[in-house]
Amino acid sequence: MSPDRSIIKQGIADALPLFVPAIPFAFVIGVVIVESGISPVVGWSSSWIIFGGAAQLTLISLLGSGAAVAAAITAGLVVNARHLMYSAAMAPVFQHQPRWMRWVGPYLLIDQQFALAMLRADDDPKAFRTYYLSSGLVFWTLWQIITAVGIVLGPIVPQSWRLEFAVSILFLGLIVMGIDKYPKLVAALVGAGVTYLSAGLPNRAGLLVGAFVGILVGTIAERLRE
Amino acid sequence: MTDFFAIIAVGIGTYLSRGVFILALANKKIPDPVLIALQFVAPAVLGALIVALLIDSDGNVAIGVGEVSAFVVGGAVAYRTRNHILTLIAGMGVFWVVRALT
Repeated sequence: MSPDRSIIKQGIADALPLFVPAIPFAFVIGVVIVESGISPVVGWSSSWIIFGGAAQLTLISLLGSGAAVAAAITAGLVVNARHLMYSAAMAPVFQHQPRWMRWVGPYLLIDQQFALAMLRADDDPKAFRTYYLSSGLVFWTLWQIITAVGIVLGPIVPQSWRLEFAVSILFLGLIVMGIDKYPKLVAALVGAGVTYLSAGLPNRAGLLVGAFVGILVGTIAERLRE
Repeated sequence: MTDFFAIIAVGIGTYLSRGVFILALANKKIPDPVLIALQFVAPAVLGALIVALLIDSDGNVAIGVGEVSAFVVGGAVAYRTRNHILTLIAGMGVFWVVRALT
């Protein structure tokens, strides 16, 4: 087997198990698109235009629940701001890549892709590129398929199941599994609490107030910890 | 149409947040205070979102026994198992059972 083929196989083999946790997100996105009343094709286009589960769920849930479009867009963008960290961390690796790869790479840079790619940062540029594109295309293809499956099965899921509540459960799971120090817990609790207190604000602006205060208090807690 | 533009806007923003350092600022570093604050974006926003998604059209937070039970059990399962699928099954399972009983 040529080295290329073995790298491709490795990329695919590494990506598949990491995709499993993303399956419920992809499926629920499909169902939420149906429940939101957004046209299925437009909703599904978010899978390849945005290609990011948390931002897609945030944007579509908020659009479907009657939030102001500007508030929904802002929330979707803020939720993905963490990718700035990935971009900064990957930048040195990508300096050895051709220009087209520097444009394509960021599009595929989801959480799982970042985790895999960082482990390959010291590979030679061509091997890195082959691996990165292999694992990235696995994530991308499965994401498109499973969100589509959610859209197809969405109308079959009875409204009384309140499957849109699954979004809240999935977000709770993301928070809990992401907490590695108490300031993050503080940020989550303050974010939730302030949003609760400002729930009466128009256009769900309370969400942005809560998020901002949560980030601020989390940062202060981190300072106090040091 | 508005929905599609919203998707495109978030798509562009997401691409830029993933690409800005790779494409343009490879020699720049994120200032430390920003780096510290960025860590708290995900938990703060997700915490705020959980509540925001439960706000009804009158501006009240529609949270009942079913939701609270689901959060407690789902949170515990997430903490113990670190598994999104089990978390979802446990949380929604409790949600449905409690709502059927109350």
